[in-house]
Amino acid sequence: MKSMIPGACLIALLAPLAVHAQNNPPDLTGVWGVYRGGRGGDPKVAPPPATPLLLKPEYKKPYDEHQKLVAEANARGEQLATQGAQCIPYGMPTMMSVAIYPVEFIQTPKQITIITEAFSEVRRVYMGEPQKGFDDVAPGYYGRSVGKWDGDTLVVDTIGLKPSIAGYRNMPHSEKMHITERIRLVAPDYLHDQITIDDPVVLEKPVTYTLGYKRMPKDYEMVEFVCDNNREYVDKSGVVRLQLKDK
Amino acid sequence: MRNTLIALIALASPLFAHHSFTMFDMTKKVTLVGTVTDFQWTNPHSYIEIDVPDDKGVKHWSIEMGSPSILQQSGWKFSSLKKGDKTTLIISPLKDGKLGGFLNVATLPDGRMLGNGPGQGPGR
Repeated sequence: MKSMIPGACLIALLAPLAVHAQNNPPDLTGVWGVYRGGRGGDPKVAPPPATPLLLKPEYKKPYDEHQKLVAEANARGEQLATQGAQCIPYGMPTMMSVAIYPVEFIQTPKQITIITEAFSEVRRVYMGEPQKGFDDVAPGYYGRSVGKWDGDTLVVDTIGLKPSIAGYRNMPHSEKMHITERIRLVAPDYLHDQITIDDPVVLEKPVTYTLGYKRMPKDYEMVEFVCDNNREYVDKSGVVRLQLKDK
Repeated sequence: MRNTLIALIALASPLFAHHSFTMFDMTKKVTLVGTVTDFQWTNPHSYIEIDVPDDKGVKHWSIEMGSPSILQQSGWKFSSLKKGDKTTLIISPLKDGKLGGFLNVATLPDGRMLGNGPGQGPGR
């Protein structure tokens, strides 16, 4: 009992801080550029490595076979068709980090809106609202997201994602995919989005990976991205080709 | 180990928004000197259409660039080129030998040289 006193004191000291963070969440509003760390990056704010992607055997075999076909095509100088090459938006969770395009957060007490520059995708996080059941959310690209603050961390719960959209690392997924994000400032102007994907149909166990962002200059204005001139097409063999213009 | 770590991080998100640049031979550089017939400031890519005279007449090339978002980071504007402008392009050609390629550097009529955004691949 005696040894618990310091712990109890610590909790008593920290509790008001937690309440303060809950009532005064950080403001994530702004435009965030992709920050992968890597060469020349600051290891203190670089996103940590992902956990392994462990697919159930019946999904792993076709996944591995497709990855092999992709690699073989690449070695031939060809790219097999992808969702992106056909200008189909990525949806969740891939939309949260595409190439080097930034994402914009607009934060209000009741809703956090996230807009991506690539493909101008939009998702809305309803704050303090309960999540619905899988049967009550029509599967789509962005699903339904609800959020709450856990101290200084924004916790977002997303369901309702259609299986046809590209998954993390092109993994297959079912309508039971459930995404939990823990979004927090790891340093002033550096943001992490820790994404955990659970899919009891497809995955042996949940996979977790983290995306890193760095705040863009305050005068950065998001650029329009309407995919109205897609000159890449998919030929009969499923390979992406460039449409040339004759004079 | 370091390379493995970078690869793991990179795999967490697609490196290209639209498509990879595997169709282009990025090891080759071809110089095109010609006249712009169209400059398309569009998504997912911008394009320079250009007539290039040679010994046998005029050949027409279609040159792919990054998206406007990426291009503006290396100084491009929607009005940087227009029909009739004389320009010199250094490109990486299509591997299949057709008259298309991916822009490396353009020399504008005013002499400025502009690259293809901070990355090297299309759709970034």
